[in-house]
Amino acid sequence: MEFRPRNYGAEEEEHAIPRVPADIHPLSAPSSSQHQVDVVDRERNDFLDPLRRPDAIVADSGENLKDEKNSSKAAVKLPGKEWSSFRKFLMQRFSVSKMISISSMPDVLTKSGKVHEKSSTSTHLEELDNPEKFAEEGVKVISRQAYVSRLHELKDEITRAWHADDRVTSLKLSIKVARLLMDTSVLQFYPTLFVLATDVINMLGDLVWERIKRKAEFTEDGVLICSLRENFEASDICFDAKETCNNWFCKISSIRELLPRIYLELAMLPCWRFLLDRPTDSLQRLVMMTRGIADPLASAYCRLYMAYRAQELPPCDRGYLITCINDLEILLMRIPSTKETTDGNFSENGRLLVSLMEPTIEYLMNCLFSYQTRVGNVHLKLGLGRNRSELYGKFPCTSIVLHHLLKELPTELVNSNAVEILQLIECSNDYSFNQYLNFRLLGFRLSEGRSQIDIVNVVVERVIQVVSQYNILEEYLKVVDAYMDIVLQNQMDNYLNIILDGILKRACDEVVAENELTILQSIFVKLLTHFDNLEDIFALKNFFEILDVMHGSSRSIVNMNILNIATRSGCIHDPTIIKVLFEVSRALHDSIDFSNMREDDNQQSACLISRFVNMVAYGPEMERHLTFLVECRGAFGCINELKETLVHSSNCLAIKAMKDGKTHLSFVKSCVAFSEVTIPSIPAHVVQLSLYLETAEVALSGGLVSHSDGLIDSAVNCLQSLDLMDGSQIRNDVDGILSLILKLCSLLVLVPGNFEQGVTYTLKSILSLINSELRITPRMRTRVLCAIVSLSATLSQNKLPYHVNHEEILANDCLFFGDPTYSQELLLLSASILQDLFNYILQEPSQATRGIMALEACNCIASSFHLSHEVVPICSKLMETAKLCLGINDKYLQSTMKFVDEHLPTSSRAVSSIADSQTQEGLVRC
Amino acid sequence: MSIELKLCRSNRIYRPNEPLEGKIVTKLPSSISHHGIRLTVNGSVNLQVRGGSAGVIESFYGVVKPIPIVNKSVEVASSGRIASGRTEIPFSMIPKHPQSENFERFYETFHGANISIQYLVTVDILRGYLHKSLSATLEFIIESEKANLPEQPVPPEMVIFYITQDTQRHPLLPELKSGGFRVTGKISTQCSLLDPISGELTVEASAVPIQSIDIHLLRVESIMVGEKIVTENSLIQTTQIADGDVCRSMTLPIYVILPRLLTCPTTFAGPFSIEFKVSIVITFQSDLSKLHPKSDPRTPRLWSAMESVPLELVRTK
Repeated sequence: MEFRPRNYGAEEEEHAIPRVPADIHPLSAPSSSQHQVDVVDRERNDFLDPLRRPDAIVADSGENLKDEKNSSKAAVKLPGKEWSSFRKFLMQRFSVSKMISISSMPDVLTKSGKVHEKSSTSTHLEELDNPEKFAEEGVKVISRQAYVSRLHELKDEITRAWHADDRVTSLKLSIKVARLLMDTSVLQFYPTLFVLATDVINMLGDLVWERIKRKAEFTEDGVLICSLRENFEASDICFDAKETCNNWFCKISSIRELLPRIYLELAMLPCWRFLLDRPTDSLQRLVMMTRGIADPLASAYCRLYMAYRAQELPPCDRGYLITCINDLEILLMRIPSTKETTDGNFSENGRLLVSLMEPTIEYLMNCLFSYQTRVGNVHLKLGLGRNRSELYGKFPCTSIVLHHLLKELPTELVNSNAVEILQLIECSNDYSFNQYLNFRLLGFRLSEGRSQIDIVNVVVERVIQVVSQYNILEEYLKVVDAYMDIVLQNQMDNYLNIILDGILKRACDEVVAENELTILQSIFVKLLTHFDNLEDIFALKNFFEILDVMHGSSRSIVNMNILNIATRSGCIHDPTIIKVLFEVSRALHDSIDFSNMREDDNQQSACLISRFVNMVAYGPEMERHLTFLVECRGAFGCINELKETLVHSSNCLAIKAMKDGKTHLSFVKSCVAFSEVTIPSIPAHVVQLSLYLETAEVALSGGLVSHSDGLIDSAVNCLQSLDLMDGSQIRNDVDGILSLILKLCSLLVLVPGNFEQGVTYTLKSILSLINSELRITPRMRTRVLCAIVSLSATLSQNKLPYHVNHEEILANDCLFFGDPTYSQELLLLSASILQDLFNYILQEPSQATRGIMALEACNCIASSFHLSHEVVPICSKLMETAKLCLGINDKYLQSTMKFVDEHLPTSSRAVSSIADSQTQEGLVRC
Repeated sequence: MSIELKLCRSNRIYRPNEPLEGKIVTKLPSSISHHGIRLTVNGSVNLQVRGGSAGVIESFYGVVKPIPIVNKSVEVASSGRIASGRTEIPFSMIPKHPQSENFERFYETFHGANISIQYLVTVDILRGYLHKSLSATLEFIIESEKANLPEQPVPPEMVIFYITQDTQRHPLLPELKSGGFRVTGKISTQCSLLDPISGELTVEASAVPIQSIDIHLLRVESIMVGEKIVTENSLIQTTQIADGDVCRSMTLPIYVILPRLLTCPTTFAGPFSIEFKVSIVITFQSDLSKLHPKSDPRTPRLWSAMESVPLELVRTK
């Protein structure tokens, strides 16, 4: 048995595929600015109010549809959906405590709702606290749940009565439900009550509508008269149906109390269509009637319901909404005077009241701007805008109304009237809303569109003047944040400096609170996205001072943004920037909470830091780079990904130094030493293994044989400790480990044999490892064994296929040239492997894999050995196995057969050409 | 065994010269024979005297003799049989005698407190002496003949009113007297029965917060008893137009739909008259009012101010 001599140079020439230079890089793509667009969009979305979402959809659908019919249909359908989500929002926003005390218990509720008089002692105690309240008798308590379920019961009762043709009872009960809305004594409960009660009243309205519609479409005997179109006219309705409709309006009109009367007429508002083609007059009258309700809360919610029900009418002039809003404003302005507490402060109650009324203002504004047909619309809006400006000074609008108006105004209008709006904001500074939030909103709205530079200039100048008076950091930040985009886009650098100064002045003395941090973060992100260039950003006045004020997660996010920008474009050369980024990274690193390492956030910061370290390039100052790496290792000890980067970087440095010339030997040594020391601290053994191999190669290239020996030893040890690990884990990256072992084998071709330990020392270690480890799959085992056989065959050659690019290192072909013991040792090792190989292959359970493994082994043997009489039987056996597993027509089998055939000595060539019978013999001989 | 009258018009409103059309519906377990089916229309003014300006003696009399308007009967079918099960017998009849123009006056249907003008249609199925006759009665509503109505719609007549502490004829709370208030507006004084009472009202000033502003619709019924005229005011309907202390200088609409049956055109007949009135009542917030939660709105109170105006109701086309 002997190794086959090879001529690698000739073989390469023979088998090489011709190469042609390519014109285009296959991975290059046309550059695009999509990324930037994305960022802008996201920011705008952030600012969008969730309630505005559905409207945007409505507006879109309105714009897209040319057909009027369709658009009206869409307009009819959508309010329902929107309304139900609005109701949910109301209920959630104003949740109620479990018990509600109402001043007088309406009899509707007492039927089954459990009302318990407060026990005398507790009443007495509370009486002492609040004698006035309890002086009025009859304070009752009912649980929220009881109240709600009673209303649901009532709804059922009304339906039942209706279907039993007792429509009078239905109406009476509905009136009682509507009466509940007159009680606003429990402010917090009112929105819930509103939702529940309008639900009932709506249902009655729908029932009436259906009934009249049926009367119009069918005779009493159920014969169809006509079927009404979607947009029918009053003239299509028969006398009887009109009479019934009139009757309903008469009945409602006889309700004594104002509020229930309005609610029920609103419920029946769509029915006006049976009587009139243009029922706008009724709506107008209802708007006026609502003025008679003095209670601000009841009145506001009544208008809310009005706006909702009016959508059921054919589209008409929305002027009534303006009246509604104006009336509401008058009420709002009255609140402080009527609800003033004795000490003159605006009471807590008043504040609650405003917050309860806010959704109604929002909804009205929403209706005003969303549903209109566009032509008549802009007029109206303009009219509104002008109207407001005229009122300026004399009759300032309430800030909360202004806020919602500004929110809904179309962007173009905001841009063209920015100065007027600013004046309005300036003169509306009342209790109902914080003025600074209006300044803030204006900023956001202005940044939505492009406006003329002179207008923007005026606005920004004024706003900066105004905020300079603010002493509270949060207010300052909130306003400034909104104008950031405008300032940046229009390159108003002087304002930017003023703003940054202002922030620092207000932030330096105090601990910045959580919500302020969030805004600061937003400001920083805007700055960073705008400049997108670290030099410019770092040159900003007070940038670092303000950054230092920040802490916590916001700080980390800003840091991450900085790193992101830094690592986006190429290498980082500037030492000062590197220093800054290092500090930024350190801060980020220190903020990582390692107790929950699995979180994506941490992962992302770790990634960013690694990327930064990877991108640092000191150029010719390699010593400094290495020092930097050492610093990084010290500073970012907790990030494992980073250590990998560090080793790669230091190896890179070493290679670069070698390329520069010989003079750097000691530097290469320190690089290798750095890597050697760093690798063990990485927990993942597979990573360790690969890094050991990489470093060993680098060491070898640098001529550091002893280093590389040590590293290879470590690699083998590492391989051993891999086996100690859980078997299942090994299976997961078994391919990775396998390829690393193969890489190790190919590296060993370069490594000069060690005289003391014996040339086959490393090979034997691997072999014993493979043999002793039972859990290794047969496939892996065969492949490793094959690799060792190939390696032995290669090492035995007179000229090795490749050498270390270092003249001082002599490879094995020089060291052991013509040494018989050397090749004997290798041959011995290989022979022992061949003994076991076949058995290992048979252990593979999968037939197909087994076949391929047999062929691989066969190829390996055929290319490593002379096909002597000792070797041929083994090959035959392997091919026979492969044939059984894969079938005679398998291509791999065919090519293997051909290959083996070519290398057979002429005497025994017949062996495999008549494969069938021959192998049979081979088996017998074996 | 049931008998029922059904009119063609579901609202049962007819004019005296219009045929009263409908059907008699019988549901019988077995067929019966009869001596004829007779339909009678009867209309009358029923008067009673109680309360109001009536004296003790008049109250003794109680019911004044009713004034007949119409009593007319026709035979729908002569004697025969009615089959078992459901049978419908149509009828048609004009309530008014065609010739006599001025003989009878058909007042419009009205249900008041002391005066009630009612029209009934009755069907009788006569079954001889052995069996009780079957009968059913139904009220129908009479409105004035179209021919007698004014061609043009009546122009709504409005009156401007002022309510202040000085216009009140009853005592007021001292704080009302001293603080003062002023409520102005206008309201219809003549109104078609088909139209709502309209108008507007503005609270210009009020030192004491307002509790409520209501519009009361009142009827004024007068009956001649012997030599004396007994008149009584009673409440038909209350409509609130302001709930709570409404904003000053804001115009509130007055809008009251006139209830059917309870109103009719203002009528002056010899033995009786029916007139209407509207009062605007402002109730102020006061601790005293809580002690009298249910008070008659006609009674002037210390914490309320009011203004009444006569209202003429007319029937238009």
